[in-house]
Amino acid sequence: MADPCAVGEWVALVQELIINKDPTLLDNFLDEIIAFQADKSVEVRKFVVGFIEEACKRDIELLLKLIANLNMLLKDENVNVVKKAILTMTQLYKVALQWMVKSRALNELQEACWDMVSVMAADIILLLDSDNDGVRTHAIKFVEAFIITLSPRLPDSDVPRRHEGDVSLDRVPRDHPYIKYNMLWDEGKAALEQLLKFMVHPAISSINLTAALGSLATIARQRPMFMAEVIQAYETLHANLPPTLAKSQVSSVRKNLKLHLLSVLRHPAALGFHAQITTLLVDLGTPQAEIARSTPSPRDLRRRPR
Amino acid sequence: MPSSPLRVAVVCSSNQNRSMEAHNILSKRGFSVRSFGTGTHVKLPGPAPDKPNVYDFKTTYDQMYNDLLRKDKELYTQNGILHMLDRNKRIKPRPERFQNCKDVFDLILTCEERVYDQVVEDLNSREQETCQPVHVINVDIQDNHEEATLGAFLICELCQCIQHTEDMENEIDELLQEFEEKSGRTFLHTVCFY
Repeated sequence: MADPCAVGEWVALVQELIINKDPTLLDNFLDEIIAFQADKSVEVRKFVVGFIEEACKRDIELLLKLIANLNMLLKDENVNVVKKAILTMTQLYKVALQWMVKSRALNELQEACWDMVSVMAADIILLLDSDNDGVRTHAIKFVEAFIITLSPRLPDSDVPRRHEGDVSLDRVPRDHPYIKYNMLWDEGKAALEQLLKFMVHPAISSINLTAALGSLATIARQRPMFMAEVIQAYETLHANLPPTLAKSQVSSVRKNLKLHLLSVLRHPAALGFHAQITTLLVDLGTPQAEIARSTPSPRDLRRRPR
Repeated sequence: MPSSPLRVAVVCSSNQNRSMEAHNILSKRGFSVRSFGTGTHVKLPGPAPDKPNVYDFKTTYDQMYNDLLRKDKELYTQNGILHMLDRNKRIKPRPERFQNCKDVFDLILTCEERVYDQVVEDLNSREQETCQPVHVINVDIQDNHEEATLGAFLICELCQCIQHTEDMENEIDELLQEFEEKSGRTFLHTVCFY
């Protein structure tokens, strides 16, 4: 089709119609829409990625059919399509894992589909080394979600209401016929290692550093078993800001570090790290009163509903 | 050039002067732009520095205009507030509070550090859903008419340059550095996620 806007609008309309209004039409339109994955227009290819996401969220069985398409789009020549595919994988990885966990009787197709998902996840983690700054930013967000999915939820995990139903490692049965708990746990921990390694790269851009700082805060709050690693990473970063940052970028990063330290400080698992966090916050110019406001008293922590 | 137009938000404290000046210019240049304030109330200068006129965000620009017209037509004509409100009501009915808007933007420009902090804090406090990035940039603008005009032109130039990049996220760092050198100002810049 010649006009990408028109195709985009058409895909959006079809998406609204069949995903939200009448899902029974999904089968009829699927192939027709997927055919646009090779369209010349970037916008249309992005729409196709969005469509795959919505369709699979509606019916995860469709992933069997669509995962190969999504993989092609993840390798697209245009970075905006790749970025959109990373965002989609950030959403679909956990949906796919949940689907695997729930299915006790698996067939070869489903196993192959999960293998593909795992390969794509590994490919995205490698994109932390992409030449493109925006692709790296998106990869950071994927890694954040990946670590959270592949680690167990603890009683003091902060779980956003929206994510209460999400699968996490503790919901993976140890005797699952195909998914290996220990292997996933290792993958999650390895991904955190990758993220921490990424953060100390001397030429990291200020935006990627900012994104990584935020991801670490989210990981620490949602998976407090990683609190020590996160605080350590913040301390290291504070002492060794990348030399490539301009003056205003240093101000932006320090401001961001302060924001995330304050948010981590409020978490009960940070109790053992208050001294380190407070020292960092003071170094960053945080007034004592502001630190005190974000510091829960031990009594508050005991009372905290679980 | 990116395939889709940038969704831009400009944010100041009361959504009256700095953000509205920028809103005006950006929309005239064809940007898809919204404007907001981050304050708990909308404050306009009053008869003395310690007596501001305070409204809530539900009050329309028109109601504020009529209120001030009734209170002291001469004062509010002379200090330009009536003129500003008249301009504002031609752009949209009422000020909007950033924290109450759930729309998604690609770029948010704030007009002072405190507002930047409030925007970043608000975005970080929201539950993340799509992980779509939004870049937040602060351009310090003093809250008076002349500075608002100059600041709005700078914001507009910045938005035009960003809109014309081949790959915004890959080029924005460098572009901001160039802009800092050219304008002699410094910008705070961060990325948040929806």
